[in-house]
Amino acid sequence: MSYRIPIGPYHLALEEPYKIEVECEGETVTAVSLKVGFNFRGIEWLAERKNITQSTALMERVCGICSNVHSMNFCLALERIGGVEVPARAQHVRVVMAELERIHSHLLWAGVAAELTGFHSLFMACFHLREKVMDLLEGISGNRVNYAMNRIGGVNRDITQPQAVLEGVRAIREALLKSLIPTFTTDATVAARCVGVGTLTRDEALAYGAVGPVARASGVGQDLRRDASYLVYDQLEFDVPVGRNGDVFDRIVVRAKELLESCRIIEQALGRMPAGPLHAGDIYLVQAGEAAMRIEAPRGEAFYYVVSDGSDVPSRVKVRTPTFANIPTVVPMVKGAVLADVPLIQGSLDPCYSCTDR
Amino acid sequence: MTGEAIRSRLGGLWLSRADGWHQGIELLQVRAMAGEMRSGGARFAALTVRPTDGAFKLAWHFDAAGELLTLEARLPAGATVPSILDLWPGADWAEREARDYYALRFDGRADTPPLMLRDGDAPGVFLDSKEGALS
Repeated sequence: MSYRIPIGPYHLALEEPYKIEVECEGETVTAVSLKVGFNFRGIEWLAERKNITQSTALMERVCGICSNVHSMNFCLALERIGGVEVPARAQHVRVVMAELERIHSHLLWAGVAAELTGFHSLFMACFHLREKVMDLLEGISGNRVNYAMNRIGGVNRDITQPQAVLEGVRAIREALLKSLIPTFTTDATVAARCVGVGTLTRDEALAYGAVGPVARASGVGQDLRRDASYLVYDQLEFDVPVGRNGDVFDRIVVRAKELLESCRIIEQALGRMPAGPLHAGDIYLVQAGEAAMRIEAPRGEAFYYVVSDGSDVPSRVKVRTPTFANIPTVVPMVKGAVLADVPLIQGSLDPCYSCTDR
Repeated sequence: MTGEAIRSRLGGLWLSRADGWHQGIELLQVRAMAGEMRSGGARFAALTVRPTDGAFKLAWHFDAAGELLTLEARLPAGATVPSILDLWPGADWAEREARDYYALRFDGRADTPPLMLRDGDAPGVFLDSKEGALS
């Protein structure tokens, strides 16, 4: 007997609204349709009516989890248009912020994933560790969500106590290696729940345009930090973890390994951060021009296309967030899956509906 | 396939910029070129639409091994856009979003339902004047 189950837009598991309608034959999912837009705020439209200083703050509101990458991407696009040279110290500060944000984002996701698998103590452990990352972000920027670090041409604040950040990151890496990552990657409960579930093949990942850890878990070994490098990533050593099976378990493993790589990147960036200015001066407009800018956000490629007519108000700001690219991959992932696995499969994307809807 | 190999296969005049490679094309070329991108192993990244002098400028962005390849075409007012949905399932949301924001119409799709808007909302919410409110 076939039947249709509407789930959402308000969920028990996920904090953000979106709707998924699942068609089932018995317990097996045969088709699915998705509905987003419940958080639509018209941020692109707003950005084309505010000056670039105001829009830098606005873009940080695209996402409540990876807020820093959006203001940074917007600034990088404008800096590319204007040919603005960002001081080396500022580039290192941006790298540290971006990687701390990646760690906190991945840990948040890991906690949610643990909860979805029914592993409540693991959820608590993830959020306990994430709190330490939040403390570091707060220590640097003074803020816990919207860090306000980026400005066109550099950053607003320095990392005044790099040694404290370094010690904090080392403690986080130790905790990751000692308990969290082994639990996620070797625990029988996690494996039983996640191996072979929600598979996305490499071909499907490419066809649907999947990005970030979702794509990498399916064998698409792209990371823009390495493959279309920006800031000073090309001067830092790190590996890009890639999966083979494209299932929920591989998405866990890829993110777990990325946590360690981020720690490694931060240690290098802090160790080689040169003295010097934090920005290139006060910049309130850039010359006429246009540029695409892509960066590797925690969830994958964040794509911006900014057009300037030479005034202080951008004439077009296009934002395609990583989750916008990744959510449609739910369709091939859940086809043929057991209905009870649908929440876990959705969760394995690390979806962010706020930034999807903008 | 590398970006260079795909560019070579597609031919035409590619313009190098700081953000990647761009080629101006005729609107009707987009399907053939998007198909070549697909068989070359590229990834569809985004569709950028912007109003310009009563018409629209469209840019389809693809990633080829880290290189950004962009195809740009002018869409005259009132014209329709060839859909690439059958070639790139990932283009579905990009086309529906373009419909929502700029009221673009796509050929070759069974329908183009709203993405960010609700059923029944009028498309083209970004077409208001700079001074106007978001409808």
